[in-house]
Amino acid sequence: MPNALIFGVTGQDGAYLARLLLEKGYVVSGAHRRGRETQTAGLCELGIADALQLLSVDYHNENEMTSLIESVAPDEIYNLAAQSSVAQSFQIPVETSLINGVFVARLLEIVRQKAPQARFFQASSSEIFGAVDNSLLCESTPLRPRNPYGTSKAYAHHLVRNYREAFGLHASCGILFTHESPLRGPQFVSRKVTLAVARIKNGLQDELVLGNTDVSRAWGFAGEYVEAMWRMLQQTHATDFVIATEQVRTLRTWVALAFETVGLEAEKYLRTDAQLLRPNDSFVMRPDSSKAQQMLGWKAQLKAEELVKMMVEADMRRVVESRCEIQ
Amino acid sequence: MKKRALITGITGQDGSYLAELLLEKDYEVHGVVRRASSPSTSRIDQLLQTSLPPEKQVVLHFGDMADASGLRTIVDDVQPDEVYNLAAQSHVKVSFDQPEYTADVVGVGTLRLLEAVRAFQNRSGKKTRFYQASSSEMFGAAKPPQSILTPFHPRSPYAVAKVQAFWHTVNHRESYGMFNCNGILFNHEGPRRGETFVTRKITRAVGRIKMGLQDKLALGNLDALRDWGHARDFVEAMWMMLQHDSPGDYVVATGEAHTVREFANHAFAAVDLNYEDFVVVDPRFFRPAEVDFLLGDITDIKSRLGWQPRTTFEGLVQEMVAADLEIAQREKLFLEANPGSALKGSVESL
Repeated sequence: MPNALIFGVTGQDGAYLARLLLEKGYVVSGAHRRGRETQTAGLCELGIADALQLLSVDYHNENEMTSLIESVAPDEIYNLAAQSSVAQSFQIPVETSLINGVFVARLLEIVRQKAPQARFFQASSSEIFGAVDNSLLCESTPLRPRNPYGTSKAYAHHLVRNYREAFGLHASCGILFTHESPLRGPQFVSRKVTLAVARIKNGLQDELVLGNTDVSRAWGFAGEYVEAMWRMLQQTHATDFVIATEQVRTLRTWVALAFETVGLEAEKYLRTDAQLLRPNDSFVMRPDSSKAQQMLGWKAQLKAEELVKMMVEADMRRVVESRCEIQ
Repeated sequence: MKKRALITGITGQDGSYLAELLLEKDYEVHGVVRRASSPSTSRIDQLLQTSLPPEKQVVLHFGDMADASGLRTIVDDVQPDEVYNLAAQSHVKVSFDQPEYTADVVGVGTLRLLEAVRAFQNRSGKKTRFYQASSSEMFGAAKPPQSILTPFHPRSPYAVAKVQAFWHTVNHRESYGMFNCNGILFNHEGPRRGETFVTRKITRAVGRIKMGLQDKLALGNLDALRDWGHARDFVEAMWMMLQHDSPGDYVVATGEAHTVREFANHAFAAVDLNYEDFVVVDPRFFRPAEVDFLLGDITDIKSRLGWQPRTTFEGLVQEMVAADLEIAQREKLFLEANPGSALKGSVESL
């Protein structure tokens, strides 16, 4: 049975990827950061918390990391571990850069020395493109990150390519555009919206406060994106891919769709607050995912409308359940 | 009031030339050095003599790019008008052996320093100008000639870390309105270049071979093309960037490329020797991923800053050979006076 090791298994993507690999018959080990309470809610919600081996590790301890990789001896390694919030990266830039950047250098070096046959996936982000004009973004678009998060991800992106070119590792970056799901953390805007809608509908909240609602994003479903990650590592030759849905929507549209799901009008509850604006922001992001379509046979299917609905419904359920518990 | 400058990496080649330039321009010059049991201040010892008048001396502070709180304290104490971040693990080949350390001091270290300067500005209301030493290695495999518009394709952990530092410098300018400049410096050399860098390794060997102290010179890729300038010229460009009305990023180069082979040819010819009799190619010095051709396009810096290089390629090689010939002569005298003793040799394994 093939053996996979996922870093960042307790996150949104980690949970969906673990489920996918289990379905495909893999033995799955999932690493997560030690030093805080294990966040297994996502794994529980997908019903797989007991089906994989959970390993807590100090990502910044090289010895521990080396032992981990030697003992698991994985065929495939997926690095999804990150400080993944752009907004927070302005507050904690050094920490962001250590986990999203230096950690990847450490990991690649261990893989090169101890597991050079393993296939390696790195979660790159559309934030590495940052400031772009209206042109399509593909694998060869120059990187121009605009925030500490994007800069740290660009660092890792370049380094993975460097290890592929210098040492012949089977190492690939998936340049993932925004991808959401009911497991998305509540600090991310997509989920902030759906959770607020559920709470407003249930009388627990009065308004939804957002920063810039004119930003455009290609909103995809995380459950589909992890399939692309896996397909990338089944390729004979490692290379980088843009993983994205090509349907672009503004945040304003996302908000409208979310309120529609529960039969409310967004205008009545939405308020914008300049305080929530980022020091600088990437406005339009138009991905070109044709390489993934051609080489991986992968194309995002789920529409933003269905995705919003799925997320609002999940949050409605959670809100109702938690209210029942309180009573 | 005298302007105050803070230089990280002051003990390096560029730091020492820059410190001299700024002292000439009547700055109060502060530098950050790492604590070690043996000081590594040989390049700036002439600026540390207590017999000098205080305004001709540099002030040193112990610090490390891996230590954010220490950097913050230094910036708060010095209250600099200008900060020059020249500190780095600056060797490309070594970065393949120490990728994590390189990432931490070069990439994250720059971010730590930017954050320290930003916090100082916020508290004091003072405007501090910031210079970041970016590198032509960031272009790596990009097609020459490389300009400020060329997308990066870094080919080593060193270059990747420098790209990270570049973007942090740009982002702090755009996000917080800081006066930050990147100088993307192509190769810059001089008699103070570290002995593990190929140019100095060559001229050092030329001096020693000429004096009969060495037989062979082992090199890596002789066909690599580089744009080689003089560090003394380049530090002037750094200073000029921070005197401009507005911050920006610049390519600093000569606009002329030569192979390692040509460099060796000129260096050996300067003492009437033929490089082919002494140079051997050793694959140990090949990089895991080679950078073949770096050539800077300097039309932009010429028009925006009016800067251009003064030293020619031939002049650079000759100055370096002359300096290393003198060192080798002194070494020979020392050995003759102390038969059987060993010199503190150059790091030949690198």
